[in-house]
Amino acid sequence: MEPQTIDRCEVLSPQERRIQEDQLGRENAYLASRKRVSAILNSFQAMRPKIDIERALYFTRSMRETEGQPLILRWAKAMRRIAENITVYIDPHQLLAGRAGCPGRYGILYPELDGDFLGLAIEQLPKRVESPFNITDEDARLLIEEVAPYWKGKTFHEDLAVALPEETLRLTYHPENVLLSRYIVNETASFRSSLQWVHDFEKVVKRGFASIRDEARQRLEELDPFSPVNNMEKRPFLEAIIIDCEAIITWAHRHAELAAQMAAAESDPQRKAELEHIAEICRRVPEHPARNFQEAMQSQWFAQMWSRIEQKTGTVISNGRMDQYLYPFYKQDLDAGLIDEDQATEMLECMWVAMAQFIDLYISPNGSDFNEGYAHWEAVTIGGQTKDGRDATNDLTYLFLRSKQQFPLNYPDLCARIHARAPERYLWEVAETIKEGSGFPKLLNDEEIIPLHLAKGATFEEIYDYSGSGCAEVRMPNRDTYTSGCAYINFAAALEMALYNGRMKLYGDERIGLETGDPREFKTFDEFWNAYLTQQTNFLKHAFIQQHIIIRLRHRHFAFPLGSALHDLCMEHCLDLHTPQIPGGIDLGYFECIGYGTVIDSLSAIKRLVFEEKKLTMAQLIQAMEANFDGYEDVRHFLMNVPCYGNNTPYADEIGKAIDRAAVQFAHKYSRELGVHLDLRYVPFTSHVPFGRVVSATPNGRKAWSPLSDGSSASHGADNNGPTAILLSNFNTKNYDYRERAARLLNIKLSPKTVAGEEGTAKLVSFLRTFCDLKLWHIQFNIINRETLLAAQKDPEKYRGLIVRIAGYSAYFVDLSPELQDDLIRRTEHGTI
Amino acid sequence: MGTPNARVKGILFNIQQFSVHDGPGIRTIAFFKGCPLRCIWCSNPESQSATPELAYNPERCLTFDHCVRCLEICTPGAIHKNDDNRPRIDRRLCTQCLLCTDACPAKALWGYGETTSVAQVLEAVERDGVFYARSGGGLTLSGGEPMHQPAFAIALLEEARRHRINTAMETCGHCRTADLVSAAAHLNTLIYDLKIMDDSLHRQYTGVSNALILSNLKQVRQACPQLPVLVRTPIIPGINDNAEAIAAIVDFIAGMPRVRYEMLAYHRMGTPKYGYLGRTYEIAETALADGRMTQLKQMVHHRHPDLPLVQ
Ligand code: SF4
Ligand code: SF4
Repeated sequence: MEPQTIDRCEVLSPQERRIQEDQLGRENAYLASRKRVSAILNSFQAMRPKIDIERALYFTRSMRETEGQPLILRWAKAMRRIAENITVYIDPHQLLAGRAGCPGRYGILYPELDGDFLGLAIEQLPKRVESPFNITDEDARLLIEEVAPYWKGKTFHEDLAVALPEETLRLTYHPENVLLSRYIVNETASFRSSLQWVHDFEKVVKRGFASIRDEARQRLEELDPFSPVNNMEKRPFLEAIIIDCEAIITWAHRHAELAAQMAAAESDPQRKAELEHIAEICRRVPEHPARNFQEAMQSQWFAQMWSRIEQKTGTVISNGRMDQYLYPFYKQDLDAGLIDEDQATEMLECMWVAMAQFIDLYISPNGSDFNEGYAHWEAVTIGGQTKDGRDATNDLTYLFLRSKQQFPLNYPDLCARIHARAPERYLWEVAETIKEGSGFPKLLNDEEIIPLHLAKGATFEEIYDYSGSGCAEVRMPNRDTYTSGCAYINFAAALEMALYNGRMKLYGDERIGLETGDPREFKTFDEFWNAYLTQQTNFLKHAFIQQHIIIRLRHRHFAFPLGSALHDLCMEHCLDLHTPQIPGGIDLGYFECIGYGTVIDSLSAIKRLVFEEKKLTMAQLIQAMEANFDGYEDVRHFLMNVPCYGNNTPYADEIGKAIDRAAVQFAHKYSRELGVHLDLRYVPFTSHVPFGRVVSATPNGRKAWSPLSDGSSASHGADNNGPTAILLSNFNTKNYDYRERAARLLNIKLSPKTVAGEEGTAKLVSFLRTFCDLKLWHIQFNIINRETLLAAQKDPEKYRGLIVRIAGYSAYFVDLSPELQDDLIRRTEHGTI
Repeated sequence: MGTPNARVKGILFNIQQFSVHDGPGIRTIAFFKGCPLRCIWCSNPESQSATPELAYNPERCLTFDHCVRCLEICTPGAIHKNDDNRPRIDRRLCTQCLLCTDACPAKALWGYGETTSVAQVLEAVERDGVFYARSGGGLTLSGGEPMHQPAFAIALLEEARRHRINTAMETCGHCRTADLVSAAAHLNTLIYDLKIMDDSLHRQYTGVSNALILSNLKQVRQACPQLPVLVRTPIIPGINDNAEAIAAIVDFIAGMPRVRYEMLAYHRMGTPKYGYLGRTYEIAETALADGRMTQLKQMVHHRHPDLPLVQ
């Protein structure tokens, strides 16, 4: 085969062109024009992340001293300890003050989550294949000797493991070693303190924490001094809010002092002035309302960094609708001549480069499997509609898009809301940004999300104002109240159990699922379908049992004073955000279907070849799969050539719809009992890779232990009717008569040639409009030549800057494990537009 | 089902969804089997013969170590064992029964061409309907030569229009004038190939005279003056990739109303298909000189600044 080089591609995406220029030693024109952020970028790019243990250390020390007190109060006190002691930093060149750890790319630890893994993990971290980390010997010693022992026996994970009934445990962890996940009905609540979340940042910038603290003080004074509930529940809550508000103010003031000191020592007059300005700003925010754009940015930045320190939120805290809550400040400064577009862009970029240095570190092997490539998604939402249902785009919306077009970073994760009346200019610029080729922005569809949430109980005003959160979720920051991670369910494992009577090849004779009989004796496809459905339903049963336990256990382990301070309902009822039920809240949970395409194609193959055309017997099929198709290439090829999901063919799509339907009906029946919405979602992160590692060969011709299909995308190489077909297959398989559905994540890979030129943009825009018409939830694009990925795999050094879209986020291609790289390469590329 | 038109049948060799290069918007293309021309550069050799044809790609074959299904099923004995332990097809013995294509697990053997009704085509086309509405796309008839199956093509177009589907047709123009004019009545866009103006060269490279083609273009222009026509020329190295040849074409069309012009750069994408059909591609080794397309475009633009040129 000829060597793969980027030169052989007919049309390059702008990202590919930049990489090529870079390889030729030419300067990046955009970066050259942005001295400040380039300097910051160069200080950390391509650096292996370090672990900073200060947060873990101070948190643990404080928690050790406060045992017995109400949890939220302990948490706030720990935050106070951190605020007073943690090292504060202001980076050279930066305009924003504040980081959660040491300079460079860094991660921090949350031993309250994974203290039981810590010892083991710390030794392995520098060595692991997915997302390695560095740590100093002294820090490792402190962790192993001081931090980890305190948490032993106290973590949520340990509590959960002992609470799971035997049958549920068997599907969740290895019965002998609960540190190892089974990847069948996988719980995800123990590797983060909370699901993805968005704060009401508008409250932060407009009110400031002093005002929230004063509100809490006032409420404290009004408490009935004789009421036991007021004394035992409300008082500690309000005290915690006061302490936490003061803690973040203290932390900000320490930055003000540092900035002033640095200014005094600074010889460069320009930098000196900047530092003096930073000092002034940090004295003002987030304590008080922001008065201008830079203060608003700094206030928001402190709040999000504080949130990161306080809590490991799934996928890191999202940023909410930045183009909305920052716009008044931007407009006012612009009108007053205090700022221009360039300066505003520079402020934004200062935030992006600061964000990029924080790494969402997963200690447990399970967690890092789910989030490869140092994943984090601080989704910044733009566009969409106003609270009263008018188009919400403004000048700042376009500034975000432009900043994303040329800035060579995978942060933040830009999330563009689109709706039926989205202006043509907006969609055009969104399309132009997508064409850049680094996977931004992802799109969320108001036309699906809004009516669906109305049906789930939101008001118009609340849901019109939703923010993207995490990889494909949405949040209504003052109405949503659900933070428990939920099960990831391996639907392909259910299929395997239907084939092997409740067993899986990986686990030998151990019965894990239900005994649904020997399929070699089945006479009709319906018999096989029923066996499959029994296994699937059994998985759902145990997922819901897990959730029942998780909902009731989590709040004993985690508290979230910051999140509660910023939430109207928490403040009204004096309840921590992690409380199982908060009056007036909507609890939007979801469980995950992993391997959708794999299962549909497998069932399609069995139906067609074994029961209709009778080209194969079930015995032959099983024999071939047991041999992992070695010596059965012919069988494998028959299997691969049946109608598959993702091609807009009714044969496969009807099977998909039936699978989806059974799951949403289960949710419809049983989530009410749990008191929450627990809906069906198809968003895999990178987990389709580890979930595939436990599933032997499947009847769609997939080899044992290889990745499953991801999200609601087609199996690899199974979609050959172009991207319209994938969209339509998604549409065909949804059960619009039920409300028990959550996100579906949809990856589309296009070759740059497909969307080349103005005409290409126009067609991409109409493609996006149709996505909107079809009421699909989410879509994202990789616009890249296959040759580029192959070249990057061979020669990672030359492609360090190459950004690709994975699940709900973009990552550097070279940071991914070889397995996931292959997976990306295999995703069908549609070059036929 | 439906009108008499819906039951009309013809032979297609492919229905391709999501095309953006053949007519406005996102389109579905129906490829007709059969063509009166034999252009030596043809990139769709599977379209030329009017009947279904066996194709074979040995690279997909699992080899006789794993499978002998085709060997067993072929009664005329057209399949032999080759040195590479894969089938070799004796095209002289093959009756094009296509039984082997169904037996082959790997799709190493397949047929080009399937009989389809207008209703079936429209059913497939309308599955993508939601994309046409937004993009201004629709159905494009291509080939092969749609006018080689005039009754089928006209019924399909008429029925598509009844379903409010935007229609386009690509034609080589070598067909009965009356057929072309009645097809044009149901078209939103006509895509018309003009290859070479010199008649003897045209005969040499396509096998037919261009007289009918040129007169048909004039006729259809007169009959349907409102119909937008896109005239296209494939630029073939060594054959018509020179200013003179192209000038002759644009001079011919320059005065016509509602005509746009496009030049398509020669590509070798069709080469493997010749192999699948057991044929060889005569001009596989040639390539266009760098910058030739740009030069020709500039020339056209200078010569006829008012002629809309598709980039
Ligand atoms: S098409 Fe029929 S005759 Fe030709 S090779 Fe196949 S089976 Fe034999
Ligand atoms: S049936 Fe197909 S795979 Fe089998 S030997 Fe013939 S060509 Fe090869």
